[in-house]
Amino acid sequence: MASTNEPKIWETFVRRPTDLAEGAETPLVLRDLNPGRRKYGMRHVVAIVSQKKEDLPQMDILRVRTVVGILLPEPRGIKILHELPIELPGQAYRDFFTALRAAAEKRE
Amino acid sequence: MSDDTREFIETLRSTGDLLEIDEEVSWDMELGAISRLACEKDGPALWFKSIADYPEDVSVFVNPMATWRRVAAAFGVAPTSSVKEIYQEYERREGKLIPPVTVDQGPCKEVRWVGDTLDLFNLPAPMLHDGDGGRYIGTWDLAVSRDPNTGWVNWGMYRFMVYDSTHLTGFPRPTSHLGKVFQDHYVTKGKAMPLAIVIGADPLSHFAAAATYHLGGDEAALAGGLRGSPVELIRCETSDLLVPARAEIVIEGEVLPDRVALEGPYGEYPGYRTGEMGNGILFRATAFTHRRRPILTVDATGYKDDSSTITAMSGAVAIKRRLERHGVPVVDVYVPPEGAVHLAVIGVQFGGKEIARKILETLTSRRALLSKIFMVETDVDIFDIGKVLHAFSTKCHPAHGVHAVHYEGRANTLTPCYSQGERAAQKGATVLFDCTWPGEWSRQWEVPVKATFDSIFPESIRQKVLERWRGYGFNQ
Repeated sequence: MASTNEPKIWETFVRRPTDLAEGAETPLVLRDLNPGRRKYGMRHVVAIVSQKKEDLPQMDILRVRTVVGILLPEPRGIKILHELPIELPGQAYRDFFTALRAAAEKRE
Repeated sequence: MSDDTREFIETLRSTGDLLEIDEEVSWDMELGAISRLACEKDGPALWFKSIADYPEDVSVFVNPMATWRRVAAAFGVAPTSSVKEIYQEYERREGKLIPPVTVDQGPCKEVRWVGDTLDLFNLPAPMLHDGDGGRYIGTWDLAVSRDPNTGWVNWGMYRFMVYDSTHLTGFPRPTSHLGKVFQDHYVTKGKAMPLAIVIGADPLSHFAAAATYHLGGDEAALAGGLRGSPVELIRCETSDLLVPARAEIVIEGEVLPDRVALEGPYGEYPGYRTGEMGNGILFRATAFTHRRRPILTVDATGYKDDSSTITAMSGAVAIKRRLERHGVPVVDVYVPPEGAVHLAVIGVQFGGKEIARKILETLTSRRALLSKIFMVETDVDIFDIGKVLHAFSTKCHPAHGVHAVHYEGRANTLTPCYSQGERAAQKGATVLFDCTWPGEWSRQWEVPVKATFDSIFPESIRQKVLERWRGYGFNQ
């Protein structure tokens, strides 16, 4: 049986590498990779992402995919700070990531 | 003609075009990989009876009409019919509209989930390809929406991705009929648009939904015409939209004008995942009804998926009609499966610069889904891609025979050769290769003579050779 301390694995999509700033509070879309019927369920969060080796033991694992769905070889660490709503204010057909950033800024 | 998915499955079983898979498979890429390979091998339709994580009474039926044999079976003609014969059958039927009828009861209501009880994860939506944005449920669907001003009801086949237990995101292109009605009549007024996503109706209703059909056209009546009998429709639980009563699954809800979530990326019909991501629509489910032992229908999108037959064929006939209306001397149009609905072969009585310009103008004025066109003369069998390639290679002048038109705001955002910037601006181009002889060339003095059996020998010699063919020792 898996230990409750085992890190969770999440996956995100970003448009460009610079969308994941080291150590900064970053709005992200995450999908759940836990097996079962709810696998790939989505959530919107603000999180801290890190690639520093010393940070990783205290963090969950974040796998990163590019805009064409390619999985980047190096996973990051992620610490989720808070949740954003699933229905993000924004206009249909307009950029989701702009709406995600706006929702995070509004919460601040 | 099949009245529903179950009857169609029986038809395919009888023609030998169905493989039933009883062994348990995972919805998480295994089902997608099997189905993709089957598509690429021109294999049968697949009926997965046992899906990991899900009860035995839910199954998945994949690639309903991805081969011409299965398209023929759906149309109720011999599975051995040629592509040209199937095209002609569609052309014969598409003009004979039969309006739908409304019924009070239907099997799609056998099980109902409304409000807090509904959970979209109860459906085994597959993760079709590694790296897709999510699990796609609307790949072989029929999305019903209405123009609030005119009452026009649109059926379309649009992709939808499972987001959480009550939300889907989708990408009906902004230039699609649904996209246009939603933006023009709902987003501008800040109103949510009622939408019903129908999964597993009869095959020709899905065909009609996927068909290239004119704005304002009644796809339900088109489906009736193709079937030769009216489609039975029943009212939704939470809106007044009407849906096919014999469907397997109906997801009801509304598209939100002022809320967004991530959609894509997704491996689409052009045979690529192009990076179209985060520019879609958000759907909030309000109800979910289904038949007992529901069958989820799926198109394993990618190279040579269902669009390579049905969207291609309806698109070809729609192109032919438009060109006829615009005075192009068109004889026939073929959209070959290998061209991923990006390439059309247009047969004309005569070509030339003016005809090329007219074709390009006509086919790119509102939305431009095609990016390559071969224009050939009547000496070329447009359904024979080898012959078309021969005409292109030999008759198209590399400088004077290539005509291109550029546009912005109406390009196909899924076209793989466009940059991400071009896709965002819906900017693109269509090129026409004129594979016809110049009209000013003298047939007696200038036009080269084709060195084929049919063209370069007198009738008497051809007849003689054909009559004596087996006598020479040939087997066929």
